[in-house]
Amino acid sequence: MNKLIQNEMMKLIAKKRLIVIAIIIGVLVMLFTYAQYKQVQTQREKLGTSDWRTILQQQIVDTTNRLSSSRITDEWKKQLQISLQQQQYYLDHDINPSEPGAPTFMRIFLENSIDLFIPLMVMVIASDLVSSEHSLGSIKLLLTRPVKRWKVLLSKYLTLCLAISLIIAIAGILSYLISGLVFGYKGWGAPILTGFNVTETGLNTSEVKLMGQWKFLLMDFGLVWFVSIVVGTLSFMLSVLIRSTAAGMGVMLASLISGAILTNMVSSWESAKYFFMVNLRLTDYMKGTAPPIEGMNLSFSIQTLFVWWAVALFVSFFVFTRRDVY
Amino acid sequence: MNKNVIRSITGIAVLFCLLWLIGLGWAVGEYYAGTPEKIPKAKTVSQVENKKGLTIVALGDSLTRGTGDETGKGYVGVLIDEIKGKTKRPVQLTNLGINGQRSNSLRKQVQETEVGRQIQRADMVLVTIGGNDLFRGGQALMDFKTGDIATIEKKYLNNLKFIFEQIRKNNPKANVFFIGLYNPFIDLDQGREMSKVVRHWNYDSAEVSASFPKIVFVPTFDLFELKVNDYLYSDKFHPNSKGYRLIAERVASLLTW
Repeated sequence: MNKLIQNEMMKLIAKKRLIVIAIIIGVLVMLFTYAQYKQVQTQREKLGTSDWRTILQQQIVDTTNRLSSSRITDEWKKQLQISLQQQQYYLDHDINPSEPGAPTFMRIFLENSIDLFIPLMVMVIASDLVSSEHSLGSIKLLLTRPVKRWKVLLSKYLTLCLAISLIIAIAGILSYLISGLVFGYKGWGAPILTGFNVTETGLNTSEVKLMGQWKFLLMDFGLVWFVSIVVGTLSFMLSVLIRSTAAGMGVMLASLISGAILTNMVSSWESAKYFFMVNLRLTDYMKGTAPPIEGMNLSFSIQTLFVWWAVALFVSFFVFTRRDVY
Repeated sequence: MNKNVIRSITGIAVLFCLLWLIGLGWAVGEYYAGTPEKIPKAKTVSQVENKKGLTIVALGDSLTRGTGDETGKGYVGVLIDEIKGKTKRPVQLTNLGINGQRSNSLRKQVQETEVGRQIQRADMVLVTIGGNDLFRGGQALMDFKTGDIATIEKKYLNNLKFIFEQIRKNNPKANVFFIGLYNPFIDLDQGREMSKVVRHWNYDSAEVSASFPKIVFVPTFDLFELKVNDYLYSDKFHPNSKGYRLIAERVASLLTW
């Protein structure tokens, strides 16, 4: 088994995919860092201060004004109200919600890339793991060895999991190093509030906890990893089922993007919550924003994703061990 | 490809895999089992950091916000522009105006810790309030003759007094400019009677202002008395940019350095 994984790992590294992914992430992080830097600057110019309390107070007043407008939809209104209460809570407890520094940037980057960007990077590796063996014809060589088929597939799957762990590590390290050049490398210990409960009536703050940013980040990484594993497994399944890599990738891409669109408009279609793609934003539960559909929470999303994961894994192994290869 | 390179990459990947797994476990555990802690509320922040510029805080309703101004500035924005033209010091504005705000909610707002801190740092405070208390989106046209208006006014004056007390408590030095009411309905049938009510409110508001040091009542009634429609936005209630300019110029003429 160990040998098989080593072999798969060698193939993966020889393809240089990880390097391509690292370059993509690096370039994008640079863009985001610059955008963030610009935003901070314009805000500073506009308000004439860099005092975060003043800026937060101003944001609260601006949100209140937006709420008073009659032209906004009910769902948007609720979202705004929740973020308003949250901001007020931060202000009342004298905690800066976005302490400047590379760790904060990293956290924001993770929260925003969990549902599309990182899954896309994972897809780059996962979607041709099996199908490329078909298209290259090397599958026959692989299967003629005296190794059970499921072992071959398992080694591929474990390699995928390792590669995903690496991708997330690369994303974390690059975003920390690059953004730190601009924002500074401090801020691991900055306090973060978590445990906001979004209920029917609004925001429940009775279970709010204070934690260090490093701990919060580790949790975010764990959630991102879980999401990536699920997405990776699904595209792995597609790469087993569909021999054409492009087709498999297309299906996965379409469902990921539809997830991003659906989350903005499914609030009244309740059974949509069983789709895997609307459940990807796990970090939002930690932050305490309103879920896309009423009744969704962290355990629901994790369970749903877990079911999708288990089914995908089962299908992959079932199909791969039985299929005729010619 | 070197075997050792691959082996070490695999090793690193396994380590990260475990680390992320720990993170995931922690996240789920903390989400459910973590006990809430008491987080201390912010104490009244007493120290005023040394600042170089001129700090202006604007409190109040849609007039402070600038509703109706096509340029989005409002009288506050126009005033700030004028001040920036006259002084070399950096000017910092905190606009805390909320559309549709009435005196009772401003009363709550000035009690907030952070708002208090902002007032404390201010060199100048601008206030507009009362318009929504009196006009209530036009409802005043129906019931201004009844006794209700007297009770509403009493409450309003009470709130106004409290707001001024709060501002003075936080900042005994800053100049406070309280912008009076104008009558947007002056051209309507009941305009004359309405004007009488507005004048009455303004008189009482000026009395309250006068009972505090350095709180200046700035009348705007006369500005909108003739040709009111030239200075009103299409909702016939808020000023347009010309109207805001009139108010801003009046306040600007009162500024002293």
